[in-house]
Amino acid sequence: MILKDRTAEELLSVKNVSKHFAGVIALDDVSFTINRGEIRCLVGENGSGKSTMIKIIAGIYPPDEGDIYINGHYYKRLTPIASIHEGIQVIYQDFSLFPNLTVAENIGINQLISSGKKIINWKDIYKTAKEGLSKVSADIPLDVTMEKLSTADRQIIAIAKVLLEDVKLIIMDEPTTALTQREIQYLFKTINDLKEQGISILFVSHKLNEVKEISDRTLIFRNGKKVLDQETKALDIKTMEYYMTGREIDTSLIAYSKVEKGPPLLKVENLTLSHGFSDVSFELRPKEVLGITGLLGSGRMELAFSLFGEMPADSGKIYIEGKEVFIIRIQDAIKHGIGYVPEDRIGEGLFLEQSIADNIVVRLIDRLASKIGLVKDRAKQDVVEEWIKKLDIKTPSSENPAGSLSGGNQQRLVLSKWLASNLKILILNGPTVGVDVGSKIAIHSLIRDLAKQGMGIILTSDDIPELMWTCNRILLMRRGRIVEEFQREQTNKEELYEHLVANNKHSSTINRVKINSKCKDSRRVR
Amino acid sequence: MKKLVNSREFVLFLILVLVSVAISIKNSSFFSASTLFDIIRSSLVYCIMAFGVLMVLISGNVDISFVAIAAMTSYSTHMLLLKLVYTGDITLYFVIAISMGLLAGLLMGFIITQFNLPIFYVSLGYMTLWYGFNLFFIGATMNFDLPEGMVGYYARFLVKVRDPVVGEAGLHISVIYLVVIAVFIWWLLKYTIFGRGLYAIGGNREVAIRTGYNVKRITYTMLALVGILAAIAGVTQSGYSRSFNPVLFMGKELDVIAAVVIGGASITGGRGTVLGSILGVMLIEVLNRGLIFAGIPAEWQKMVVGLALIIFISIPAIAEQRAKRSRYIAVPKENREE
Repeated sequence: MILKDRTAEELLSVKNVSKHFAGVIALDDVSFTINRGEIRCLVGENGSGKSTMIKIIAGIYPPDEGDIYINGHYYKRLTPIASIHEGIQVIYQDFSLFPNLTVAENIGINQLISSGKKIINWKDIYKTAKEGLSKVSADIPLDVTMEKLSTADRQIIAIAKVLLEDVKLIIMDEPTTALTQREIQYLFKTINDLKEQGISILFVSHKLNEVKEISDRTLIFRNGKKVLDQETKALDIKTMEYYMTGREIDTSLIAYSKVEKGPPLLKVENLTLSHGFSDVSFELRPKEVLGITGLLGSGRMELAFSLFGEMPADSGKIYIEGKEVFIIRIQDAIKHGIGYVPEDRIGEGLFLEQSIADNIVVRLIDRLASKIGLVKDRAKQDVVEEWIKKLDIKTPSSENPAGSLSGGNQQRLVLSKWLASNLKILILNGPTVGVDVGSKIAIHSLIRDLAKQGMGIILTSDDIPELMWTCNRILLMRRGRIVEEFQREQTNKEELYEHLVANNKHSSTINRVKINSKCKDSRRVR
Repeated sequence: MKKLVNSREFVLFLILVLVSVAISIKNSSFFSASTLFDIIRSSLVYCIMAFGVLMVLISGNVDISFVAIAAMTSYSTHMLLLKLVYTGDITLYFVIAISMGLLAGLLMGFIITQFNLPIFYVSLGYMTLWYGFNLFFIGATMNFDLPEGMVGYYARFLVKVRDPVVGEAGLHISVIYLVVIAVFIWWLLKYTIFGRGLYAIGGNREVAIRTGYNVKRITYTMLALVGILAAIAGVTQSGYSRSFNPVLFMGKELDVIAAVVIGGASITGGRGTVLGSILGVMLIEVLNRGLIFAGIPAEWQKMVVGLALIIFISIPAIAEQRAKRSRYIAVPKENREE
């Protein structure tokens, strides 16, 4: 039994830790322990305080209040070096790798640096790298550069690298997001091996089935508070979900838009992009929110990119309001009234240095311009004020740079940028990734409001509650194809979870609609 | 073997050969030992400075002040030794100039690490500063008074050959410096923590810090080396031309950077090789010189060199874009349907 952990030695103890950011509570009086050789899971929705906790343990953020004990040593304020010294290693989602260097160097260089040597023996580096890779049973060539590898391989390398250090606790931040089922099984096997060696793991995730499978004890955060700390054996996924999301949201109360009968707003036929997706056909009606979900590599992102002209499809047809259109460039998509809100709002969606006002009007600058091409200041001001109010963006002045806003407000600002420009179709790619719970709900109701006004919305996401709260219909993609279709009223979160993570061979029949793919006549777009 | 053929250095070498052959066909006098020696000699100092530029580019920075350091160190050393009525050979010139270059590099390192500034910004001022220093404190005119031991330096040859056109042509002794320095820098870049640190910083500075590279020390070392290399190039060039110039190499900084970029270094950091840099400098030199031989007017030369630069810069950029695109849509292997 895992009960032996009760008497086991504590590796890490966090006591009454609180942390605020600019008045917002990120962590509120959190205490927990991690024992030696224990697999601990930290679960929570985006914005629940998981990342803040990781950063406090790694010594990056000092806590406002509270104490930390590692290996019996007391720390009021931990530094990154002290944390590493105590044997704590974090695998961040960015993997901490050098894109321009080889696999061998990425894995092997740490040991060389910590040994204090100044001259490099490449044989040693290759030996270390081989050793590291053997620890994760991965077969990756040692002399290719990192940038040529897939995300999954990079993740494996990041793990291999950490395993070479003298670690006592490995913190993995959403380690399975980028991995396929088989690689996840590798990872879990490795994690169990490490546990045998007495190494502790803090596994941060929101994939509850994985948590259930791997962890000894589960810790659930919600809105910065610890809401559950219990042995995983005694938990089922439903309970975890309940604690993770708080009270079950009664979906019957949500005012979904009624989808209009009649001709589809957007019709996609046999759309194919090599290495992306194939033979994708679906329709989107006015006032409809259509969810597209699937695991990483399922092709959902590529599909969204294609519809927006960023990665034009190789073949297939796209109709908007019954007319065939060609979307080869982003400008084509914009011309046809398609908008796109990216997941990485900071990287892709905003001019962070520019003012909030300028970010709002950037898409409709043509309409605001007078005949000689000058922007009418008054008109601009009106539009800006209208949208700031409509989206509830909290800022003292619309002239502040967009970068000064919090994550949720930035996301709403990106939305406004598109919404202000009279779109027919809006594609949202993971609209609430990294957004706090409050903003999340606001964004969801905004999405539904937009649909009600007649817009057709495509929402790609792997966040099941999000899909349930916003979509009328959900398409599931796997291996680049649409494999199932769910009507929201006839499905539930559990079923969606199950189908999302199911293996390819897995077949369930409820609500399953085979998407026809008989039409082989795929003409090239243009 | 395939790797070799695909490497940028090999492609550059091939182009270098092709260009040389093409020019030789147009004008057979291009194809001679004297031309070869001449090209080596005139590109040599640029190669030496290019190694400094290479290191800075690999680290993801740009520095333009090295030319001014070359001018300051060589000219100040010369004027100082003239005052002391020095009569010996070039060795003492090197010793003093290298020390000055080292100090100038360290001072720049201090400014950059202390105030956490990008090298490019500082180098803008640093360049003007040292040219100004020369003109204001040391002297504003070219100086042709050489100490006795230096007079014959320009004609100290390693190898001499008979040449039908110019009579006798020689490979200057300074080619030894180039070989020694090139091997040393190659070794630094490949086999030392300092060298790998440059690539790491250029690849991802944040991760480099997290990994434990001493970014400060690497920056100091790099800039000290840039100073030293500039000093060597300055003294060597002055030795060749038998004159010391307070504004030596002025305006040449971008040519050297361009050559290193042609040689495969990335302006955004993390990439570049010693061999590539040498070939880049040589290619520009061959183009410059060869176009004269081929009878192309001087006005056109600049254009041709400019075009070559644009072409060479766009090749890796296009390749990178393709790679990025294929990465974007990379589907894990087992998820891919045949």
